Amino acid sequence: MRSWVFFLVALAVGAAFFAGALALRNDYLFFAGYVVLQYIVLATAWNILGGYCGYVNFGTAAFFALGAYSSVALHKLGANIGKYSSGLVADVLHLLLPLSIPAMVLVGGIVSGIVGLGMGYLTLRLRGVFFAIATLAMAVVLQTLMINWDFVGGSRGAYVIRSDKVSLGPFSLSYIEYLFLVMLVLAVLSLTVARLIERSRLGYGFATIRDDELAAEATGVPTLRLKLVATTISGAFMGMAGAPLPYYLGYIEPAATFGLPYAVNSIAMPMIGGTTSWVGPLIGAILLGSLQQIATVTINSAVNLLIVGVLLVAFVIAAPIGIVGLVQEFVRTAAPSRLTTRALSIIFIASYCFIVGILGIIFNLPGLQSQSALVVWLGFSALIVGALLLASAYGLLKLQSRGPLLTTIALISSIVFAATHIWLDPMSPGVRWWVIAMAIAAAAVWYLQNKGVKLLYDRPLADRPVAA
Amino acid sequence: MGVPLDLLINAIIAGLMLGGFYAAVTVRVSISFGMLDVVNIAHPAFIILGSYIAYILNTTYGLDPILVAIVTLPAFYLLGAAVYQIYYVAFERRGQEALRGLAFFFGLLFITEVALILVFGVDYRYVQAPYIGPTWRIGFADFPLRMLVPCVVSVLLVVALQLYLTRTFMGRAVMAVAQDQLALRLLAVDPIRVKRIAFGISIGTAALAGACLIIIQPVEPSVGREYIGRVFAICVLGGMGSLPGTLIAAMLLGIVESFTATFYGPSWAPAVAFGFLLLTLAVRPAGILGR
Repeated sequence: MRSWVFFLVALAVGAAFFAGALALRNDYLFFAGYVVLQYIVLATAWNILGGYCGYVNFGTAAFFALGAYSSVALHKLGANIGKYSSGLVADVLHLLLPLSIPAMVLVGGIVSGIVGLGMGYLTLRLRGVFFAIATLAMAVVLQTLMINWDFVGGSRGAYVIRSDKVSLGPFSLSYIEYLFLVMLVLAVLSLTVARLIERSRLGYGFATIRDDELAAEATGVPTLRLKLVATTISGAFMGMAGAPLPYYLGYIEPAATFGLPYAVNSIAMPMIGGTTSWVGPLIGAILLGSLQQIATVTINSAVNLLIVGVLLVAFVIAAPIGIVGLVQEFVRTAAPSRLTTRALSIIFIASYCFIVGILGIIFNLPGLQSQSALVVWLGFSALIVGALLLASAYGLLKLQSRGPLLTTIALISSIVFAATHIWLDPMSPGVRWWVIAMAIAAAAVWYLQNKGVKLLYDRPLADRPVAA
Repeated sequence: MGVPLDLLINAIIAGLMLGGFYAAVTVRVSISFGMLDVVNIAHPAFIILGSYIAYILNTTYGLDPILVAIVTLPAFYLLGAAVYQIYYVAFERRGQEALRGLAFFFGLLFITEVALILVFGVDYRYVQAPYIGPTWRIGFADFPLRMLVPCVVSVLLVVALQLYLTRTFMGRAVMAVAQDQLALRLLAVDPIRVKRIAFGISIGTAALAGACLIIIQPVEPSVGREYIGRVFAICVLGGMGSLPGTLIAAMLLGIVESFTATFYGPSWAPAVAFGFLLLTLAVRPAGILGR
């Protein structure tokens, strides 16, 4: 697919999504969706440097906060032009300010891009590790700067007052819908750029840096220049993602804006999704982003961060190629010539196990703190079933010979679990979902008895077809 | 300049004492990063863990924090050896330590911090010990024992480690593993075992550094993050893997930070370390006593 075609298709998907969300008339959807979209941009931006070049950036929060603070500064300047300038300067400022959100996004991107360029110039000539450490330290220093800079609120923070409605041509949107739209366009844009880079000379240059920087340098790849390009683009997108933040929150202060969660999320999402292609960060961001939204509602925000950390460490150890890599590898061994129904079904079963497993763990964690012994017992068994399901998803995709057996056990115990729930509380509206889950699990168990599946898993690894 | 002499001298003394403590914090990074090439950015998390253990035992049993640290040191050593084993099996053997190893340690840092927040909340915690209140005065120079005790403990730690590394067989093996693993293998020494021991020591002393930290200042789970920039700045500035260099660099940073805090205000102090780091990386990446 050509890049502009991809851009249009992605835009159309985005528009359909937006229209769907509008039709549901639920503001919470926009609030939650904005965060997920923001993480799509951040993860994609991180991946341009981290995944394509292999240089770890721990300072996502710094770039992100720079974008946010440039918006605050512009907003404040726009509101009090007379106070901070006079004469000709004031006249020029009156012409320019107040800026619209897209313009602020642009400014935030430029500021963060320049900082990224400077950072890269100072540290990228050394080993990659130094760059990683320097980005970590930079976050602390920029935070110190913002704490001491009174104009943008210092450590007290700054309030940004936004209008109620925005009219875009003939349409009138509420402000959160407008911000959601801006972030949606930004997400589409960042994905297009990432995909464009991946398939261009630039992307191949990045890949040579990731695989063997010394060899790349020796063959004449201008490594330093390429790395600088990567840091600048990556930093710019992070800044753009941060620019609308003050308007989204209405209040901004250094400790939260420079917080570690942004850095961890933007690393965890590409790592979990898969770092080698633009799909990875997208999948990772949608998965982790929505999981966090769910966990924030059902449990609390500290636990959802713990989940991200644990998932990151687990994936980095057990599946360093990420979800996309796992699926690709599975397809390469299970269906090398063309994608068969069997391979697709197994992928479907594995992803069902994965999602239900994680959701089961998240929804039942709070149960452990309950007073009633029954609820604690239910929560505990749900955790075990969830862990079993996760393990079986991994086993299925990795073509482990015990994979189908483990999956069968896990799915049957999930059926038992669902039945217990229905038996305990037959009147609740959740029963519909339990029945659906039972049906899917039963179908999956039945499918795993299929002869073709058995054949695929029974063969020793060496005999399995391998892609040419 | 009109700076009063006593203020100046006190700033220098405070800086030296702070620097001594920084040396204890950094020594272990010098071992793991400078000698073993394991970029353990989760280091501050282990220090905070040490602080909290000192805090728990101090508040429940009234034990001296430094005593607690010495007692818990073996446990931390085992923890370190276990972490290295995971790191080795999952990353180093596969040759993926650069990107994924960093992410792994970052994840550890994050998990520790969040877990501490979940258990203890974000309140500042502090310990009780007889030497936390009083101050020695010699002329107009102040020696708060709260700073002096950690400083002395830290310098002793650095000296002990330096002696261990240069005088014992295992210590020399640790130094050797940094230079040539193959040669070590030819001497029938298992480099992985050497690295595991060295990493264990590096984490083990975190207990001590943590106890010192909670004596110097009240601790909350995210304090550790401030130390990442500082620690690596000192490590790089001192010349990777050189313990005397680390001590000098730590004192230098301590003095500069103390000056900044005295003359410009404490809220600027964290920025100093970063300036140091960038300057070193740009001007002399090998550090003061670099190999």
